Amino acid sequence: MNFLRPIQALNASPTGQTSLLEVRDLHTHFLTDGGTVKAVNGVSFEIERGERIAIVGESGSGKSAMAMSLLRLLAYPGKVVAGQINLNGRDLNRMSERQLNHIRGREVGTIFQDPMSSLDPVMKIADQMIPPIMRHLDMNSEKARAEAIGWLDRVGIPDAGRRIDAYPFEMSGGMRQRVMIAMALSGRPKLMIADEPTTALDVTIQAQIVELLKELTSETGAGMIFITHDLGLVARFAHKVGVMYAGKLVEFGPVKDIFARPCHPYTQSLLDTIPPVDQAERRKLAQIPGFPPDMKLPLVGCAFKDRCAAAHERCFVEAPDLTLRGPGHRAACWKPEGLGEARRKDAELVPPMTHSEEDRVVVEVFNLHKHFTGRSVLPWKVPPTVRAVNGISLNIREGETLGIVGESGCGKSTVARLLLGLDPATSGDIYVDGMAQMVFQDPASSFNPKMMLADIIQEPLVVTGWGNRMERAARTRELLAQVGLDESYMSRYPNQLSGGQRQRIAIARALALKPSVVVADEPTSALDVSVRAQIINLMVDLKRQLRVSFVFISHDLLTVSYISDKIAVMYLGEVVEYGAADEVFRNPAHPYTQALIAAVPVPDPVAEEARMKKPLSGELPSPLDLPSGCAFASRCPRATDHCRAEKPLLQAYSKSREAACHYAN
Amino acid sequence: MTQEMITLPARRWSDLGTLRQSGLWRLLGNSRIQLAIAILGPILFLTIFRSMLPLPGPLQTNLQAMTQPPSLGHLFGTDRMGRDILSRTLAGVQISMFVGFAVALLALVVGLVMGTLSGFFGGVIDRIMMAITDIFLAFPSLLLAIGLVSVLGTGMIPVVLAISLSDVPRFIRLQRSMVLSLRNRAYIDAARTVKASQVWLMTRHIIPNTIAPLLVAASIAAANAILVEAGLSFLGLGIMPPEPSLGNLIRDGQSYLEQAWWISTLPGVVILMIAIGLHFLSDGIRQVLDPRSRK
Repeated sequence: MNFLRPIQALNASPTGQTSLLEVRDLHTHFLTDGGTVKAVNGVSFEIERGERIAIVGESGSGKSAMAMSLLRLLAYPGKVVAGQINLNGRDLNRMSERQLNHIRGREVGTIFQDPMSSLDPVMKIADQMIPPIMRHLDMNSEKARAEAIGWLDRVGIPDAGRRIDAYPFEMSGGMRQRVMIAMALSGRPKLMIADEPTTALDVTIQAQIVELLKELTSETGAGMIFITHDLGLVARFAHKVGVMYAGKLVEFGPVKDIFARPCHPYTQSLLDTIPPVDQAERRKLAQIPGFPPDMKLPLVGCAFKDRCAAAHERCFVEAPDLTLRGPGHRAACWKPEGLGEARRKDAELVPPMTHSEEDRVVVEVFNLHKHFTGRSVLPWKVPPTVRAVNGISLNIREGETLGIVGESGCGKSTVARLLLGLDPATSGDIYVDGMAQMVFQDPASSFNPKMMLADIIQEPLVVTGWGNRMERAARTRELLAQVGLDESYMSRYPNQLSGGQRQRIAIARALALKPSVVVADEPTSALDVSVRAQIINLMVDLKRQLRVSFVFISHDLLTVSYISDKIAVMYLGEVVEYGAADEVFRNPAHPYTQALIAAVPVPDPVAEEARMKKPLSGELPSPLDLPSGCAFASRCPRATDHCRAEKPLLQAYSKSREAACHYAN
Repeated sequence: MTQEMITLPARRWSDLGTLRQSGLWRLLGNSRIQLAIAILGPILFLTIFRSMLPLPGPLQTNLQAMTQPPSLGHLFGTDRMGRDILSRTLAGVQISMFVGFAVALLALVVGLVMGTLSGFFGGVIDRIMMAITDIFLAFPSLLLAIGLVSVLGTGMIPVVLAISLSDVPRFIRLQRSMVLSLRNRAYIDAARTVKASQVWLMTRHIIPNTIAPLLVAASIAAANAILVEAGLSFLGLGIMPPEPSLGNLIRDGQSYLEQAWWISTLPGVVILMIAIGLHFLSDGIRQVLDPRSRK
């Protein structure tokens, strides 16, 4: 890939130094029994000191394999088969394990997605943190301990001197990720590799962690590779973006340039799949048809050709190389403008649904409580009670979609289970006119792996004794058609489906008995962005065609506000703001809603720069002992003594909105 | 529908017919299962068709040919009453196999039913069931079997009952733990939202997903039962002589081990081979069923 030369010359720093990291023509293969999976297929890029590079792509695009290849941390049977990885001019790929171990941690720090499994559960934080510091910085244990405490303090762990002797299980997920960051930074690395470091965390915690990483890397001058699938995060965080598809970089360049002027059809499609922030009128989300190519099979031509609307003859014969499209901006497409005219073709307007006061109310919830009582330590002590849902009232009209948002632990999933009658409520009333059905978050455990799809979709019909065999089969076909799948799926098994197809089947099953309301608990959070758009479009279509009501539970505020008519924001088992979706999203009244919306990264680097950068501090308090006043007072920037003493009730804020805050008006 | 239909890409998945075949084919293609068939196949074949073989009956004495070493006429030799040891071994294998499979079946069925009920309903049923299994698991299995046989008396049925009694609690535990992890799966919740009955949930959603690991456990239990039966018979507590169980054969020869090694040793080798074969079988089933063990 010799075309890189001139670009490097363009980027070369005035002092004439080499780049911090220079990756050249990296190839990584996984040698499985079923064949060789070519996960990384010739990736080249470079990082300057202090630069943050985001690598985005769908799952299976090879982004994680690429990052792991840099330090040779690939799991068996992965192998770096070719390429140069020059860190400060030394080729990591030619080093022995022993030499590489000196680099790992000291010169290159790593943060992984799952803080649960990255920390040893049976070792204290101190025992995991101090020895590497002693080794890397040549310190004695006392000095290293002081250094470790200093870092823990820097990453925002309260009472670091004491918490360093805690075990990982004594900390929350956000705290553990902070510890990981402190560990990664304590070796004073010149380069950080972060593989989806915030995916497992809540939006508010994610915002805190991202700010922290940004601050600390710019302070220490470390370069950073940030793997993510969240384009909003990229806009907030990165200087440059690399878009990976089928093991190759298809576009690479400065973040503003890529978001403003994407050149590769894949980048363009990815950007179009995100619900826009400005939703004056709702347009259908763009979706990328088809599947990524099978990386075991040889590839002729461009890898994206089968899914590309602009593909022409040349794309089927010859694979395009990265070519210069602007200063530092490269893209691998034969067409100068990627999709070009075809790009906006699909974006048809979603006609707004008309709702009126006369529509029948299908779900009414009044003063709902759900308390989980634990076992008391001693028989005469009052057992601890978790108030998961603490007095909420909602109603949903026919054809309406209610979005429920909040951090994990706020009780939104418990509300779903109560609505479905899976758990009995402690007190309060739930009235459902007709039937409530469910679409679950995890497409993998939603289906019995031993049942055929036809049986899965028919199960509600069989159980309730609906129709005869022929009628049920006909209904199954009809349902499959409604969710956009063909009849051939009837005789398949769940493990033969992709995540998006599974979610379609889950929707088909939920619709089988013509329910009046479908409760969808995080239905898109396990899916790739391109598939997410398909499922959201499908739900919007179904809502219009069948006039079925949806309860859409998610922590993804952009998606919720796109699909919902009404939003209920939950905090610690209570609804703190409730009203028309557009209003809540554009002009949030409750400080918690404001903080949530501020925490959502917006896929627009220019807008991101202008936004408030003060993430909500702290974490959700324990629901075991709720404060007597406002539950949010401990994290609220506007809290006063009045808030701590007296609980605000949900009051009318405007004609179509309620908020529970003393100072909302 | 404005949405375009998503058709299946043909290359990814084979159609259903070949899928079913490939399940069996994968089982037969597994090297451990092939090994198990190679060991157990001939033994079973000879046992089933032993009446057609040119062998004297297992109880038929021949005073002209006492304590003869293995030869062409008597492949395994003869014992001190001139009975053909190969014939007796095959008869013993028949009894052993019966005991093995009876125990495995009994443990499987009882464990499946009790474990499912215990895990699915929990509460008082579960606590009582677990207390009972704990009591039985507290005793070494051979000791428990010996105690039971001395109460129930000797013979085929008491032996089978005695051995299963120590296997059943293990199966209940295994099934219960699997049910506990399946009970909260989303598909069970989905079925509950349409008011599916408990029987439906257990028979359609839980048992089909636990049966494979139970089969693996059953094949190990069968191998174990054959060994325990041999042990009981060896101690004179199992199948009563002159009925030729494998344990009896070994006991018959133990006093003559120096003069006539073949009387004990050759039946012992057969026991070993059956046990190894069954272990290979269970290992193979596990490998085929458990996707994680596939590389």
